[in-house]
Amino acid sequence: MNRNPLALVVVALVVALGIYVGYHKARRSGASLTSHLTQSSPAPDFSLQSLEGKTTHLSDFRGKAVLLNFWATWCGPCKIEMPWFVDLQKEYGAQGLQIVGVAMDDASKEDIAKFAKDMGVNYPILIGKESVGDEYGGVPALPESFLIARDGKIVDKIIGLRGKAEIEDAVKKALDTKPGTNQTSAAASTPVFQPQR
Amino acid sequence: MFLLFLSLRLAIPASAQTLGKAPSLSMVPVALVTAQRAKQTMVSLNFRIPAGYHINSNTPKSEFLIPTALKMDLPTDIVLGKIEYPPGEDASFPFSPDEKLSVYSGDFTIAIAVHPLHSVVPGKYEMRGVLRYQACDNAACYPPKNLPVNFEVKVVKEPGAHQANPAQSPHVHG
Repeated sequence: MNRNPLALVVVALVVALGIYVGYHKARRSGASLTSHLTQSSPAPDFSLQSLEGKTTHLSDFRGKAVLLNFWATWCGPCKIEMPWFVDLQKEYGAQGLQIVGVAMDDASKEDIAKFAKDMGVNYPILIGKESVGDEYGGVPALPESFLIARDGKIVDKIIGLRGKAEIEDAVKKALDTKPGTNQTSAAASTPVFQPQR
Repeated sequence: MFLLFLSLRLAIPASAQTLGKAPSLSMVPVALVTAQRAKQTMVSLNFRIPAGYHINSNTPKSEFLIPTALKMDLPTDIVLGKIEYPPGEDASFPFSPDEKLSVYSGDFTIAIAVHPLHSVVPGKYEMRGVLRYQACDNAACYPPKNLPVNFEVKVVKEPGAHQANPAQSPHVHG
């Protein structure tokens, strides 16, 4: 069969283009899981039970800079971060930092409490729900932390274990915000921790 | 040039490309297993963990870690014998350099014993189960997952069984 080399090149390019477009489409659709939560998005409010049985809303921490940490007892890297969070809570708590842990765990409340106690956790631990994880982009990997400014807007997101210094920088960024103002638009006066639904 | 660019884009290292994406273990298909009635037959199940990830062994070193565990649901009168897990590899990771974890990475094999009872009608049977595992990479962990496990076992009569019942056909058809 007589094949035109130019035609073969064109076919190869079309196939390659198809793969390229498909690849990027797939990447975008994966990213879209979290695309509704970008920097300066209002952090979705939630209502979760604490280990002590107290109903806790994110909006309870209005006016504070919040480090919202999704974790689990089975997550090794999460365990490494916890002592850092304990230190950060001690160091920056007076300046308005509130670290909040959300356990995305199948373990019992007692097991989670034991784990937290063993780690010397000095901040509230809430029992996570899948629906809350979904609101925060599905939380596909742990640890995952959201830095929330005093005005309730997300200023940073950290997936996976990073260095303590990087987390501390993000904390400072969240602390360096004013309550009730919009970081991106001085004219805006949207309510803090707007529910997403 | 474009193809070169494309291949470079597709060659992004797993750690950078998939952070936040849970890895999926795979099971190597098992060839048809022939098992004799009233006898135990060992079956090797081979699993593959994507590069850059690890899962806990069956005996992790912490009560909070989720062990890799196989759960089989076998047909009536086919008894599941011992499940033999490979020993974990003691490894430390950047997220916990001072702590040794017992993990599997790369390829690993779990051997299980199937024991068709004398009452089993010879023929092919589907064995089903799930492998529960929880994976991590060097910086993050992923929620526990269940991998479906299935393979076929051809149960044959024990030798001499046809001699005990000469009226029965000596041929077994699956």
